[in-house]
Amino acid sequence: MQITFKVYRKDPEKDGKPGRSNYSVELDEEATVLDGLLKIRDEMDDTLAFRASCARGYCGECTMRVNYKACFACTAKVSAFTKKSPEILLDPLRNIPVIKDLVFDWDAFMWNKITAVKPWLEPDESSTNGENLLPDSTMADLRKVMSCYYCGLCDEGCTVLPVDFDFLGPAALTKAYRFVFDPRDKAGRERLKIAEKPKGIWDCVHCFEASEHCPRGIAPTERIISIRDKAFKVGITNEKVARHHTSFAASVKESGWLDEGRLALESEGLTNIKGLMKLLPTAARAMARGKAPIPYLHPKRPGAEQIKKIFEKGEREKK
Amino acid sequence: MQAFDVLVIGGGASGLRAAIAVKGAGASVALITKVHPLRTNSGLAQGGLNAPLGKDDSAEKFAEDTLAAGDDLCERDIVRAFAQEASRDVIWLEHVGVPFNRSAEGRIDLRQFGSNSRSRTCYTDDRTGHIVLQVLHEQFERLQIPSFEEWFVTSLAVDGSACVGAVALGLRSGKLEPFTARAVILATGGFSRMYLPSTVSLGTTGDGQNLAFTAGARLMDMEMIQFHPTVFPKGQGLLISEATLREGAEIINEKGEPVLESKALTREKICLAMRQATQNGSGALSLDLRRIGKEKLASRFPQTLELAKTVAGIDVTKEPIPIRPVAHRPMGGIETDADGATSVPGMFAVGECACSGLNGAGRLAGNTLTEALVFGRKVGETATRHAKGAPVKGFPGSKLSDEEKRLAALTSGNFSGDSAGKIHSELGQLMNDKVGLVRDGAGLREALERIQSLKERHRKIKLSNSSRIYNYALTSALELGSMLNLAEAVALAAQARSESRGAHRRADFPERDDQNWRCHTVVSLAQGSPQVEKKPVAGGA
Amino acid sequence: MKYAFYPGCVSRGGCPELYPSAVKVSAKLGIELEEMKDVACTGAGVLPQDISDPINARTFAKAEQLGLPIMTICSTCQGVMAQANYRLTSEPEYRAKINREYLADEGLEYKGTTEVKHLLWILFEDYGLDRLKSQIQRPLKGLRVSPFYGCFLRRPPEAITPTKELSRRKNYLDELIEILGAELADISGKGKCCGFPILSANEENSLAMAAKHTGEAKEKGADCMVTPCPLCHLNLDGNQPRAEAQEGKEIGLPILHLPQFLGLALGFEPGEMSLKRHIVSTQTVESKVSMLA
Repeated sequence: MQITFKVYRKDPEKDGKPGRSNYSVELDEEATVLDGLLKIRDEMDDTLAFRASCARGYCGECTMRVNYKACFACTAKVSAFTKKSPEILLDPLRNIPVIKDLVFDWDAFMWNKITAVKPWLEPDESSTNGENLLPDSTMADLRKVMSCYYCGLCDEGCTVLPVDFDFLGPAALTKAYRFVFDPRDKAGRERLKIAEKPKGIWDCVHCFEASEHCPRGIAPTERIISIRDKAFKVGITNEKVARHHTSFAASVKESGWLDEGRLALESEGLTNIKGLMKLLPTAARAMARGKAPIPYLHPKRPGAEQIKKIFEKGEREKK
Repeated sequence: MQAFDVLVIGGGASGLRAAIAVKGAGASVALITKVHPLRTNSGLAQGGLNAPLGKDDSAEKFAEDTLAAGDDLCERDIVRAFAQEASRDVIWLEHVGVPFNRSAEGRIDLRQFGSNSRSRTCYTDDRTGHIVLQVLHEQFERLQIPSFEEWFVTSLAVDGSACVGAVALGLRSGKLEPFTARAVILATGGFSRMYLPSTVSLGTTGDGQNLAFTAGARLMDMEMIQFHPTVFPKGQGLLISEATLREGAEIINEKGEPVLESKALTREKICLAMRQATQNGSGALSLDLRRIGKEKLASRFPQTLELAKTVAGIDVTKEPIPIRPVAHRPMGGIETDADGATSVPGMFAVGECACSGLNGAGRLAGNTLTEALVFGRKVGETATRHAKGAPVKGFPGSKLSDEEKRLAALTSGNFSGDSAGKIHSELGQLMNDKVGLVRDGAGLREALERIQSLKERHRKIKLSNSSRIYNYALTSALELGSMLNLAEAVALAAQARSESRGAHRRADFPERDDQNWRCHTVVSLAQGSPQVEKKPVAGGA
Repeated sequence: MKYAFYPGCVSRGGCPELYPSAVKVSAKLGIELEEMKDVACTGAGVLPQDISDPINARTFAKAEQLGLPIMTICSTCQGVMAQANYRLTSEPEYRAKINREYLADEGLEYKGTTEVKHLLWILFEDYGLDRLKSQIQRPLKGLRVSPFYGCFLRRPPEAITPTKELSRRKNYLDELIEILGAELADISGKGKCCGFPILSANEENSLAMAAKHTGEAKEKGADCMVTPCPLCHLNLDGNQPRAEAQEGKEIGLPILHLPQFLGLALGFEPGEMSLKRHIVSTQTVESKVSMLA
């Protein structure tokens, strides 16, 4: 079949402006997008730059967008993308600095962020003889997380990265999970502190886009939530988040439901005058519309006593 | 100029392990790798890595199995030392974080794999390479070792007789730069991409072997190419772990009847049995994974399920997957001693690019990753000792400008019409047809002639892409040059060895000939041409 | 049709216009509601699962006793409860543990039969579109509307869109806009996060996200945006002036709650839907609607 590839181009040695090149390629029915690209580079245009390594779905190196859908060039069958028209658009992933053509900056996008979570086990140097005895259930969970092939699709789907490129992102935070929940790691509390740093777990909006985009079913969003839950249990170290979560929990615990006015005040910190002043315009606007909830005037729900009991039991459980 | 005590070339399992060992031994070290370490071919390993950890097992039994798979061409002392040290290195790997599958008691679970006579293969589902690679990379990052990723080494620097560094092209910067070192460790992996299809990544092109060979090192046992029996042969070739066989899968003929009488066979014996079956009219062969059962498939072979679906479009829980033997890993490579030293002072080699004689004429399934660990550690320690005693040598003055000129000549012309890809496809087909699972004298002669003409065409390649930034046409042309040189060495060694042994099968010499051929082949360059010699197997009986 | 009504905290707190609109609209449609008064906040994704799962199991058990499915009017309540319900129904051992350890002393047991549905889903899956269409008294012709779902009404798949048929849930709001006679002003961010969850942790990012989505709708010529999630409303409406200030652009996009939007088409006057309580003026919507009447 004859396919026209319309490929994103950018040459850092010329004007660096993005453009597109069209290539008409004869391919067989079974061909993948990578087959097409290799053929183009080999026979038609040797200036075209794209990455690929394993060429069969193991490694994530050839991640790109095919007809705007992020996937792997090596497993994307051309026939699956040409049902409506024999044209295929190829672009680099979104929201990532492009170096040349389909080659984008993996370092800035993902590798440097992974390095930022100190992605190595701190082993017990004193252990000598034999392996650590550990249940397979714990190991199976880590194996699942480590089936990640660093393809970047979770980061590409992330809702936060488009507004803040410095957010660590789901790939790096999922890597952090692998150490937070590895019983062999001796870094202990330090692990959570690393994950809780600015641009870390508390900047995640837990929108589940990452989980939806992960081709391996690793569920990065749930992994981030697990780290947060663990931090909640042992004590959140990010002060503002700690204030917010403590206030939230206290109001649900005491009355069964959320006291939003109190939450707003306590999140800023009751002694943080500057922070509280900042709330004033919003509060004034809300008040003018008759919708600002009045803090601490918060009646208990029926059943609140029972909820408090559950709460206390849950808190004991998680310690 | 970048200067280090030790320079490691290649970011796979062997290279990472070696770099960790060098740093641990107190020398300065840097890694150069043409793809990010987590994208290297080590990540494709599936089945597991051997260590004699079982109650019924011992280093001796492990050594026996390794020797048997090597078909009497192994260096026995090396095998015995390796079998002794394997457990320690695998336990180290567990301590630094590999989440091995566990037994009910919480110990590392062992699976029976290939022709191992005991259950001794440690594994992480069917993603062992991928996960071991990650853990090695984690520890590598922990030591904050400088890592030059997406740097392509174009040449080694040899001053007098000693290796003193390398010249590498930064794919991102487009700059050619010299790296000096007192010792260089080559850990660049295999060269099976000279076969199409094969089981390896696009970059498994024998760069390191060719760098060493052209710098004066020798290549050993190059004719020994292991074919893998259970590979879906379409596209690039998709390996289905042979571990599935011992877990219940069957190789079946068109009628659905099992083809193998036993599964405790070496890979070449399974391959030969498959070939025999096809010649006897079995029709196309396939691998029936349904016999393993859906649940066990999902829990122990999740990657196989996934990739069979995405790459081959086959749901292996519902139907058999077509297979045939496909080129997998070479046993041969850069000749080294027991510690990874080559015949060139200051030059070391480890892993699949090296040949110490550990694997003889056939590698035991599950030994590749263990070899990377044991020999990676050893070569790191040895290279460090060498570096500490080696005098500082200057980088040869004209080296960099020579390389500049060589690359400029390749990239300054008009597109020659001929292309690396076309030559590569012809080479891949040729190697499969004439230097494949079974060879003969006439075919090998023809192969050598055609390799000559392919080399001639390769020399004339001109690229229209004159940029140095991410110029993959340039690196592909260089990789093809390596494969052509090594293909010639493979065919020459195969032509010389007039017997059948291990992975080397000659239709015209079907028997093993211990009298004449219980010895290695060694290929070296003499006045620019490759020469084959014999080298006795040491270490006695 | 009758539901155990779970109004959530915000519909009477930060967005007090939501609760009465939902109640009025339900009554008009003939959806009978029995409000759940003795149940707690879902945890909203803030409380850890070890606390929120038992609390939600209690809510489900109470609805089970009533023999009614639960109706929510908040994407976050819906999402958190659906995720908890998914765990509790797909893992019987986990449910048994929670029953035993948390619910038994109140004499409760959750058997795993409670359905939790957002009003939006109810319209499509229970109420029926033909019946809904027959109730429309004021087709919202000429009103350009952008949808904004709230993450938890679209993901994660196992809890929200477990079957191929139910994957249509990702499009309900788009469909509803057109069913009610309005024009769809589609935006790429309709299924993304509004930014509310990180308002406390990273206000700058939170406001940037609010500005991005409302700004996109404005560029697409929307008169307003409609959302089934009051938390999205808090950020998109309540914080819109701050988002405008931070990003240095004027947006001025009215944000309607789903029941308000529905109510206008059912013939309610803007005043009856408490549009005056919004932070961003809804004047443009009101005048367009009044022309239709």
